[in-house]
Amino acid sequence: MTDTLLQNLINGALTGCIYALIALGLSLIFGVMNVVNFAHGDFVMLSMYLTFWIGLWAGVDAVFTPLLTFPALFLIGLLAYYALINRTLRQRYVTQIAVTVGLMTFLRALTQLIWKAQPRALPYSLIQGNIQIGPYTILASRLVSAAASVLAILGVYFFLSRTWAGRAIRAASDDLDAASLVGVPYRQTYALAFGLGSALTAIAGGLLMTFQQVDPTMGVRFGLLSWCVLAMAGLGSIPGLLISGIIVGAAEAVGMSLWDPRARSLIVYLLFILVLWLRPRGLFGRK
Amino acid sequence: MSAPILQVSQLTKRFGSLVALNNVSLEIREGEIFSIIGPNGAGKTTLFFNIVGLQKPDAGRVLFRGADITGKPPHKICDLGITCTFQVPRAFANMTVEEAVRVGAYQRYRGREVQRKVDEVLQICELEEYRHQRCCDMGLAPLRRVELARALATEPVLLLLDEAGAGLNPSELAGFMEILRRLNEEKRITLCIVEHVMQMVMGLAQRIVVLDYGEVIAEGTPQEISTNPRVIEAYLGKGAVC
Repeated sequence: MTDTLLQNLINGALTGCIYALIALGLSLIFGVMNVVNFAHGDFVMLSMYLTFWIGLWAGVDAVFTPLLTFPALFLIGLLAYYALINRTLRQRYVTQIAVTVGLMTFLRALTQLIWKAQPRALPYSLIQGNIQIGPYTILASRLVSAAASVLAILGVYFFLSRTWAGRAIRAASDDLDAASLVGVPYRQTYALAFGLGSALTAIAGGLLMTFQQVDPTMGVRFGLLSWCVLAMAGLGSIPGLLISGIIVGAAEAVGMSLWDPRARSLIVYLLFILVLWLRPRGLFGRK
Repeated sequence: MSAPILQVSQLTKRFGSLVALNNVSLEIREGEIFSIIGPNGAGKTTLFFNIVGLQKPDAGRVLFRGADITGKPPHKICDLGITCTFQVPRAFANMTVEEAVRVGAYQRYRGREVQRKVDEVLQICELEEYRHQRCCDMGLAPLRRVELARALATEPVLLLLDEAGAGLNPSELAGFMEILRRLNEEKRITLCIVEHVMQMVMGLAQRIVVLDYGEVIAEGTPQEISTNPRVIEAYLGKGAVC
């Protein structure tokens, strides 16, 4: 019993690292321009389909597709920013929500049209097999995905803390007026944040495809889950985001193993409500 | 008399029915220390915001060295060499002092040169000991110098300071004024200071403009301004001049 629980906890925590990566993209977008991007989860879904498609037609393994999908999603992010988001920045919240929800619906309908409604999965991946640690069996692809997610998160962390573009993003998210007065061009910074935030879903999408299938309704689940991770972590802490992602992943797994597979979301959102109730700025959020 | 570096002509800014700036015209000359004073709500901060591009005026023009810069975005105006500091310091709260100043230095430099600029500016603003402190943990006096340092890192030729002396004690104020004087004399930076602290205005400014209810009511040397009956009336009310 404890073994099964621990086994599930490990699996959940590993998946949670990918959730954290997805939430990091959302956090970049929300933190910098205060836009609630409801389509974020559908970017993940789109990345997964692109991975599937490239894997099928070009024979590129899911592990390597981010090399192609990362720039693709960055461009799609830029396009979405300049075509839609940019025009809603000065509008009311409701307008922004309507636009990103619209984008979400559009992406879902588009994938349904192209790839049909049935679930798709890649036949194989380079990383196969299991790793045995004591009584626990860990799927190699899960472990590699978690490690790659943590690496990607670290990469973003260094980008934000060490490069001039990263500092511009942080400055703009702290105080846009002050940043623009010292020369930070805000539209370009916004576009960069949106592009990068979207591009991170490409890494997540590729990693997810190594052990999961994709269907067009998945976007909503990832969108809400990443919101949940972000709100629980609070804005401004990247290590906090990782921990929060792991908590959410683990909670899902525990819910499934102790209760019922159908309870996976229930546990997560109960936890989410509890955290926000006791600590509205999130577990690691800045004041 | 030197050439004008900034000309504001007939600038008008309304917020709904409130006229924050009404036909304001003034001229700042290359190399001088210019001051704008006026009672609370006179439109001083609004004037700054309309010059640096944080707000767009409803009418009128702003010329920088003869070129029209009206309504350009702040980062473009910063690139031309004008920037301003805020009345309430708005340093990037989650950054260290060095990082915040670095953001400014990126305006003109890349690579190693950035650090050189940051070091230079931190030294001028006497912030070297605070280098690695986070901005949100700092007191008002050093925070005002962080604002100044961040602005200086962009290498402005015209620097607008919004009540930079407010809330400083006499010795902090004297130190701050000394820094400003040096910037003006050694770096040839034209300064425009909006201020309530008369000690600072009278001690630094070569020319003063007085704003009241969004209009220019007087202009002159500190000597002329301090004896101008309209100015005294604006500050103290009618009947104050005996």
